Formats: sequence, structure tokens, C-alpha cells
Amino acid sequence: MPGYIQGRNVNLTFRPPNRGPVRALSNFDIDINEGEFLSIVGPSGCGKSTFLNVLLGLVKPDSGDLQIQGKPIVGPGTDRAMVFQEFGLLPWRSVQDNVELGLELKGMARDARRKVSQPLIEMIGLAGFEGHFPHELSGGMKQRVGLARALATDPHVLLMDEPFAALDAQTRDLMQVELLRVWQEARKTVLFVTHQIDEAIYLSDRVMVMTKRPGRAKTIFPINLPRPRDYEMRTTPEFNELKLEIWNSLKDEITV
Amino acid sequence: MSDQAAPHQGFASRYRNVLLGLLAVAIFFAAWQAVFLFVPFNPLFISKPTLILQALVSLLVSGDLLHDLAISAVPFVYGFSSAAVVGVALGIVMGWRPRVGYTLDPIMIMFYASPLVALAPLVIVFFGVGVSGKTIIIFLLSIFPFIFNAQAGVHAVDRLLINVVRSLGGSERDLYLKVIVPSVLPYIVAGARIAVGRGLIGVLVGEFFAASEGIGYAIARFGDLFALDKMFACILCIMIIAVALTEGIRLAERVAFPWRVGQ
Repeated sequence: MPGYIQGRNVNLTFRPPNRGPVRALSNFDIDINEGEFLSIVGPSGCGKSTFLNVLLGLVKPDSGDLQIQGKPIVGPGTDRAMVFQEFGLLPWRSVQDNVELGLELKGMARDARRKVSQPLIEMIGLAGFEGHFPHELSGGMKQRVGLARALATDPHVLLMDEPFAALDAQTRDLMQVELLRVWQEARKTVLFVTHQIDEAIYLSDRVMVMTKRPGRAKTIFPINLPRPRDYEMRTTPEFNELKLEIWNSLKDEITV
Repeated sequence: MSDQAAPHQGFASRYRNVLLGLLAVAIFFAAWQAVFLFVPFNPLFISKPTLILQALVSLLVSGDLLHDLAISAVPFVYGFSSAAVVGVALGIVMGWRPRVGYTLDPIMIMFYASPLVALAPLVIVFFGVGVSGKTIIIFLLSIFPFIFNAQAGVHAVDRLLINVVRSLGGSERDLYLKVIVPSVLPYIVAGARIAVGRGLIGVLVGEFFAASEGIGYAIARFGDLFALDKMFACILCIMIIAVALTEGIRLAERVAFPWRVGQ
């Protein structure tokens, strides 16, 4: 059965000016099921984020085949949306206007936008903050807005590029719980890039370990922990066993 | 999550800060006035605030001051607004197209760094004493802050925001309207504040060198006549205008770009 998202032999080499070429992705294969939560962990610079940008349609691969629902990716599209590590909120726009950005770019009228954004803002717990500007929000609140903005256009696929890496540890834990709640409600296919094995296991249906650059899929670990998951699950033997297995696979790829 | 808004400066403390500033201004003028209680006062060489105030009132009543200001305002408006239009356009192109930037940067820096006032006599020779000569001097002095700030604004556009708008299906036009213009605007406004000061220098310099009316001419003439109370009245008037313009722009900036306040 072909994957909902399917990548075959995806190759990408960056050719920055005044420097040698960098092979970011080499014969990269991936299959993601519909509604699945897949995390990618890998050493720094292995091409995880690059792959998300390829899927998003911002970066074109040199060769290879990449499809969503059987349709090749040729550019950005409303079936995908990204949550960025550094939030990427427009500082001159209020919470509400940031959430509505994608709808506005689609040409949706103001009233219709409001009908979409209002429940989302309530879902992320920012009701009453609609008129606030990003500089008035905490990091966690900013990323909630980033999440709501990505969900507003109702994409099938949610791409998350280390979305919680810029947050402190406690906020990060809370955001993980929030994300699972939202995911269970919205049932999107999620591709989640992270450096944290804990985070990957806690959130995912499967965790993919990538090799060092040029990045390929090394091993895929199914996470058969029951859902809904709670924080206590992180202390169970099963969780720790998985963590150790993934770490053993990952550590060979890391050069310090 | 709390319902509290981000902390804003309290009204009382803001009021206190303004008062502190006004107090310093008041002390400055009071001290000026008080000096002449101890030092013999010669109105040929110095004036004092009470006399300046009287002169200001008489110049206002006679209409001379307003006439001179109106005369000077014309080249200022022409020179400043054309500097804004040309400077912003040039700066954005220099920021957007690196090659244009590399080509024009040295010559622009050369002109910006040098005291362009030196060119004023030449401009007067070429364009005469009228509005056109003064306009060109004001234009030359006030264009550079617009150029450099617009350029810096384009350079400071966050690549991430470009990617955000692109990934959500934004067109080139959307990038321009929703990211680049809002990013550059505050830089241009900041440039305008610097340009106001330089433009006013242009007004005065143009009229010092050669003019038969205008506020700069009035200052020079009252100086020649040793009418120092009237001369200071004109200077005071220019100061008030300069402060009103730069502070007015700052106020407009706070209203128009509230997100800048928190940065």
C-alpha cells in the first residue's frame, strides 16, 4: 500500500556561493500513513529541517519522487502547513490577524475568517488575547498562535520543525500535552522534527532515526504505547526501553 | 494563564517623566534670566528670556515672523518631500538589489559623511537665491537618512517571515505588502526624524548665504542689526518647530507601529 505521503530517492544538494556543495538528502525514502504522528530525530545538520522545507514546497529537490495522496509536490499548497521553531509571527499583526494570515492570503472575507479563527483561538487558550501583539506574549503563547495559524487553513498535513525547541522545559512539557490534545481533536497527519527522544516517543506513532549528513532514513521505531498518553508514561519501563533503543541507534550518527 | 495584559507604563509615572523634562527646560531659562541679576546686562551682545518673549510676541503680532516662516516653509516642504520619495525609492532598490547597493554605497557614504553645507555656495551660483536653490540644498541634506534607513530596513526583513507567507500560498505581491513594506516603514520613519533636523539646517544655510526673506534670513539680519532679542526669538521659533516635527513623528510612530514599542 503506498503511503499517504511517499518519498522515493529524494536527493538534494545545496550549492552555496563561495563554498563547496553540501549534500543534504541522499536517496531519502519515507512513507507516512494518513492521520499518523511521525517524528524524525537525527543529528544536527542531517537534513531533517530541509526535508520539511521540501515537503512544504519551499525547496525543490534535485531528483526523486515526492507525493502527497498520489499528487507530486510542486510548490506550497493549502494541504500542508508548517509550525516554525522561531514562531514566525508577523510582529505588526495581532494574535487574531496572525491566526488569519493564511485565510487572508486565500482571499477569504473578514467575517468568514473570524468564524474560523475564533474557535481556534479558544482551542489554544488565547481567548481574550485576540488584540495582543506578539511582543506582548510569552514564548509558549507565541507558539500556540503559530499552531493555530497552521491549523486555520485546515491542512491535511502539519509539519512541525522543532516547534518547542525555543521554549523552556516546563512550557515545552505543557505544549506537548496541548499538541496531543489538538491532534486528537483535529486528526491531522503530523510530521514532527525534534532533537529530543523523550518528546518524539511521547508524541508519536512512529519515530524515524536519520543518519548523519547526507540524511537517509536509518531505522523506524513503532511506538506501541497506548493513547491517550499522560505524563506518567515517561517513567514506565517500556518508555525507557524505547528511549534507550532509539538513543543507541542515534548515537552512532552523532559526531561531536 | 493569567488574564493580565502585558505591563504598560502607568499614567502617573509617565506624567512624572514629562514633568521632569519640562522642569529642566524651565530651570535653563530661569537660570539664563537670573544670571543678569548679578552680571551687567548689555543688550547689544546678549538677550534674556523676558526680552526674547516680548520680541517674539511683537514679531507674531506684526506678522513678520509668520511671513518669514511661510517663505521658508515652501522650499522645506519641496526639498523634504522630494528627498523622502527619491531617498526611499533609491534605498529600497539599493537594499533589494545587492549589486546596485555595492555600486552606490561608497559614493552615498562619501556624500553623507562630508559636510554638504560646503556645496551651498555652488548651488546658489547655479540656481540662484530663490526657492529652487534652497530646495536643492534641503534635498541634498535630508535625502541620506531616507536612503540609508530604507536600505537597512530592506536588509532587516526577516527571511523566516518571507517563508511563512510563501508557505501559506502568498504571492510576490503578498510578500511585498504583508512583509517587506511593514518591515521597512518604521525604518523610514526613523530616518525622517533625522532628516527633519538636517532639512532645517538646509533652510537656514540656504538663507544665510543668500536670501531676501525667510526665517534664516531674519536670524542673520537681526544679528547684523544687533537686535538680539528678535534674533533669539526667531531661533527659539525654529527650535520649537524642530522639536514639534521630530516629536510629532515619534508620536505618529508609536501610534502607527505599536509593535515597535516593545522592541
